[in-house]
Amino acid sequence: MLFNSLEYFIFLPIMFLLYWFVLGKGLRLQNTLVLVGSYFFYGLWDWRFLFLIIASTAVDYFVGIMIHRNEGDRPKQKLWLWASVIFNISLLGFFKYYNFFVDSFIDLFEVMGYSIKSTWTLKIILPVGISFYTFQTMSYSMDIYYKRIKPCHDFLSFATFVAFFPQLVAGPIERASNLLHQITNKRTFNYNQIVSGLKLILWGLFKKLVIADGIAPIVDDIFLNHETYPASTLILGVTLFSFQVYGDFSGYSDIAIGTAKLFGVELMSNFKFPNFSRNVAEYWQRWHISLSTWFRHYVYIPLGGSRVGQARALRNICIIFLVSGFWHGANWTFIFWGGFHALAYIPVFLMGRNTIYKDNVVGENSFFPSLIELGQLVLTFGIVTFSRIFFRSESLTDSFNFIGRIFSDFSYAPYEHPNGYRMLDYFILLAVFVLYEYRIRRDERNPFQFKSKSVRFLAYALVIFAMLLFYDSGFDRSFIYFQF
Amino acid sequence: MKKLVIKLGVYAFLILISLEVLVRIFYLGEDKPSRFVDENRVEKWRPNQEGYSVTGNRNQNFVRYNINSSGFNSYQEFEPTEDGYEVALVGDSFIEGFHQPYKSSIGRKIELELGEKIKVFEYGYAGYDMADQMHLIHAYREDFELIDRIYIKMKFSNDLNRGEYYIQSERLNLESPLNKALKKSKLLVYLSEIGALTPVKNMINDARMLVQGSSRSKSVTQQKTESKDKMFLENFKNLVALYGYDKDKTVLLMDVSTTPKLFLDYLDTNGFDYIDFGQKLNNADRNTTLVYDRHWNNFGRTLIAELLVEDLKVAGIIN
Repeated sequence: MLFNSLEYFIFLPIMFLLYWFVLGKGLRLQNTLVLVGSYFFYGLWDWRFLFLIIASTAVDYFVGIMIHRNEGDRPKQKLWLWASVIFNISLLGFFKYYNFFVDSFIDLFEVMGYSIKSTWTLKIILPVGISFYTFQTMSYSMDIYYKRIKPCHDFLSFATFVAFFPQLVAGPIERASNLLHQITNKRTFNYNQIVSGLKLILWGLFKKLVIADGIAPIVDDIFLNHETYPASTLILGVTLFSFQVYGDFSGYSDIAIGTAKLFGVELMSNFKFPNFSRNVAEYWQRWHISLSTWFRHYVYIPLGGSRVGQARALRNICIIFLVSGFWHGANWTFIFWGGFHALAYIPVFLMGRNTIYKDNVVGENSFFPSLIELGQLVLTFGIVTFSRIFFRSESLTDSFNFIGRIFSDFSYAPYEHPNGYRMLDYFILLAVFVLYEYRIRRDERNPFQFKSKSVRFLAYALVIFAMLLFYDSGFDRSFIYFQF
Repeated sequence: MKKLVIKLGVYAFLILISLEVLVRIFYLGEDKPSRFVDENRVEKWRPNQEGYSVTGNRNQNFVRYNINSSGFNSYQEFEPTEDGYEVALVGDSFIEGFHQPYKSSIGRKIELELGEKIKVFEYGYAGYDMADQMHLIHAYREDFELIDRIYIKMKFSNDLNRGEYYIQSERLNLESPLNKALKKSKLLVYLSEIGALTPVKNMINDARMLVQGSSRSKSVTQQKTESKDKMFLENFKNLVALYGYDKDKTVLLMDVSTTPKLFLDYLDTNGFDYIDFGQKLNNADRNTTLVYDRHWNNFGRTLIAELLVEDLKVAGIIN
């Protein structure tokens, strides 16, 4: 079930009404409803893969208890932790990476002159959300191991924590320390929280339906036919893709966070206007925050982080970026994408500028950014956008062909929309979107920051009107990050 | 909770009103002409209406239509005479041409090409199949007897599902009081046009089929193509037998590349003339259809007009 589908808009109000007015009397009833609803939500896509979620839930529930029970016996605790890691990574490895490894070995042997017939490749369906919920359950066991939290002894609550439908299929990847205690306590009806959730859902839908889906046909056309287009069109294509993937994923996250609010749950922010980052390090503090935080806590810091020698710190940076790239998909393009970001991050790190923008935003003390900041924004956006060529291309060959054409056919030709729409509409749309996001850049959880009620109302009406203007019934409207 | 429900209700109502106003201001929702069945049991547009046809979300195509006193979209009245040269184009939405300015329709292009020698009457109506078309010619036989050449646009796979004409109640249901009332909302018309209501319609249809325990589309796909072709051919023969067919002046306009050999052989053997527009359109060096739907664009219509002019010359209707 997609957040932007009719089914969801029937499912959500029913869940909401049942949750607060029929079964909302006690914690167990609330959690039972959310769990059943979450499994139904997931099962509509493919009920068979529910067993994976249940297995992952059961394993980490048990592991959590066993780690706690063996307190004082570190080797045993470690053993249990490894059991969780191996189980979850095996799930991920089989469903997501098995064919990649088989194909890569075959390619490697072919490079060495041996021809192998690919009889090992399997037709495996990638279960939606597997990269997200396995990371969430693993983090629970790790947090118990590192004594950050106590294990949950209520299986119902724990299963609800793992399967909580707003964030089940594409995050934010919640840490137990933030989400679990909200699930184990009864939620109470909070008018302001619900209104704030509805606003986020509306804004998320706008980003998905208007920004992401609106420009998707252009991006698809340019990447598919990149060999026929001049540099100007290719640059346009990858720039638009940058907005598309941002609109798609941050839109999804806003809907997820907004939906969770409707059920009295606060999820962590996943995006904080990454397009207004002044360097690549700041970008990673603002883009897919739940994943970056996960890797920092469970990979980077255990490896020593930056509090080791410079060489090891650089190694750690390379590792988390490569692993992060690989997390996105079983394709060399994602590994290159991660590697490219590592290379872009290292100079910032060496100059000691990787944390300087942690607690402030561009144009902190003024409405407009300074000229220097403007230059930094453009440069960072350029670097990140360039890396998207790897992210979007089907293969490394396509990526390098795309890049090669930008430099070898450096010419301009007007681009025509594949479905005949005016391109000017999209340029105006993006300009308004960027300016509006700049205006609200201090608070990602409050997209309609208008004091006047009538202006706020006008904003709602215009946002919905824009959805109608850019709605495309013939377009596949699933979310990009579902494939991860 | 009460506050939430009231506020949501008020906001939803006000937003709907605002959207209705915005859709009207920007003229996004098209005018829907009303249809009816005349005394000859021919379904067509109610005569003497005009309005705008809009395609796409953002006024991608915005053209005026003009329904003449015969109930068809045209710049002129259909008044065939004994002395003049008249040609009839009979067909579906491709001939009806709500997607094009009616002054650059195929018929108009033919007239411009041939000067004042000829008049072309376009009997086009979206959704017409062969039964509709042949019944129309039969019902207006007095007019069609005066017409010198008749072109019937047909697509074999779509247009021969029926071997006999009957009034299509599904289309006429669009004229029910409820539908008429709904059409007064430009917002609803617009939502329907851009496909935003399709998921709702699909869900209702799915639910209906689930209740009825049937799956119509499944049974259609299970039919073998060959037997379907045979059935379509039989339907064609039936229609010819029922409504008559003047082979001397009637020509089928179709894409041969999508028409089965079985039907082509039948036409050849039995002396039915046809023109293949597929080859000319497929070999064109430019796109011949609109980018936002599959109707012929201005260039495509020009090519069709050229084909017909050529045929008129060969047939000796004009020099």
